[in-house]
Amino acid sequence: MISWLRHQKHAFNAALRRLSAHPVATLLTALAMGVAISLPGGLYLGLGHLERLAGDLPAQPEISIFLDASASTAQKQRIAARLKQADIAGARYVPKDDALAALNAAHDLADITAGLTQNPLPDAWVVRPQTTSRMELVRIAADLGTLPGVAETHLDSQWADRLHAALDIGRTSVWLLTGLFAIALVAISGNAIRAQVLVRRDEILVSRLIGATDRHIRRPFLYVGALQGLLGGLAAGGVLAVAGVILRAPVERLAGLYGSAFHLQPPSAIEIVAVLGLTALLGWLGAWLSVTRALHQVETTR
Amino acid sequence: MISFSQVTKRYPGGHEALSGANFAIEKGELVFLVGHSGAGKSTLLKLIAAIERPTSGVVSVSGQNVGRLSHHAVPYLRRNIGLVFQDHKLLFDRNVIENVLLPLDIAGFDRREALKRARAVIDKVGLLKREKANPVSLSGGEQQRLCIARALVSRPALLLADEPTGNLDAGYAADIMTMFRDFHQVGTTLVIATHDDRAIAALGGRTLRLDHGKIEAAA
Repeated sequence: MISWLRHQKHAFNAALRRLSAHPVATLLTALAMGVAISLPGGLYLGLGHLERLAGDLPAQPEISIFLDASASTAQKQRIAARLKQADIAGARYVPKDDALAALNAAHDLADITAGLTQNPLPDAWVVRPQTTSRMELVRIAADLGTLPGVAETHLDSQWADRLHAALDIGRTSVWLLTGLFAIALVAISGNAIRAQVLVRRDEILVSRLIGATDRHIRRPFLYVGALQGLLGGLAAGGVLAVAGVILRAPVERLAGLYGSAFHLQPPSAIEIVAVLGLTALLGWLGAWLSVTRALHQVETTR
Repeated sequence: MISFSQVTKRYPGGHEALSGANFAIEKGELVFLVGHSGAGKSTLLKLIAAIERPTSGVVSVSGQNVGRLSHHAVPYLRRNIGLVFQDHKLLFDRNVIENVLLPLDIAGFDRREALKRARAVIDKVGLLKREKANPVSLSGGEQQRLCIARALVSRPALLLADEPTGNLDAGYAADIMTMFRDFHQVGTTLVIATHDDRAIAALGGRTLRLDHGKIEAAA
């Protein structure tokens, strides 16, 4: 166990030495990785912001029921009774006078409502169903529409459905891009390690002759790969931080124009750790593939 | 310690470097391998260290059938064998003491213990003053002594040397042979491939003569 730890420490130190021996190459590789990771990373962050924006809007779909102007009191009572059933989470009655008052309060529409001689608005219920499933919502809306005294029902979830569908595509794209750039990362790491193996060919041959196991030879290369991946992750963080600084002012200006206090937020600590862990893992994987292959070649061309 | 029974090594292309070799080397023996170049001396040493595998026959070292050793077992065999090469095979990206530390790092030695051992063996080959030097700056004789120091630092029971004095002038060669005699006296088994007859005369020991891949005579 102690010997194992000693080997790890030794390999880790050797990896640090190798990386710092070629600072420019190390930096360039980290930058290539950083740019590659910043694309899906940036998309992920952008999507997070959109979702946060979407979350501020009423997530719960609503059904509006507009009553017939000629609906009788008995009909209205039956509708109210129907809305107390279990599939309805809550219902709010909006008398037509309240609706008109709300329209008056909305400043842009005051001019229009001022010219009206009588209230054209119907009495209405705003209903929040228990379910959020699209199918159920459609069924409930249709069911409510058949009640006598109901002129029309309107399912208020279309725009939300569309937004969520768009966000779903965005989320899928993030995973797709992440997959593609993960492959790119493995390739970048593998290529960098391959060059290192070639440079260290003599060392590998001599080490083998004096009793080094493949594992011993591979170990420092794996650490180099993982560290390189970690540096790539940090570089991606740098790229995104710069992008964030550049974008912050325009985004806040746009949000200000909509009267919103929306602003860009940095990723959470867990997200940062996860990304760095993933890039280190991918760097390690690229190194493993490359060095295993190269060791095999060194052996056969002895 | 080493035994060859009916060992033949044929390289791809058909060249037979060793044909039906039969011999044994006891623990603590000093054996010279002699013969013209291309006689099979290097091949014989490579078979002992599992750098090559026999085409047929059995090579056994310390009771292990070397030809049948798994890929994973080979490194552990080599850790008990010191190898001295004619071309030294030193690493020029590190200094003298780091070259000597390499086998100890591979074996997983504690750093302090490793440094102590490396200094002791560097002192023994007379390079203590050069321990921080790059091997490039050493003379041929010094490089060979460094190679010997690296072979001996892990205190192997068996030392194999392939033309250790091949590129050296007489003075250096005599130094190195004296060193080998000292190791022989402390019980190390040595197998030295050479055509330096003076060295053989000076050190004594057994001679195995190879001729076109055949063991000719055991003198």
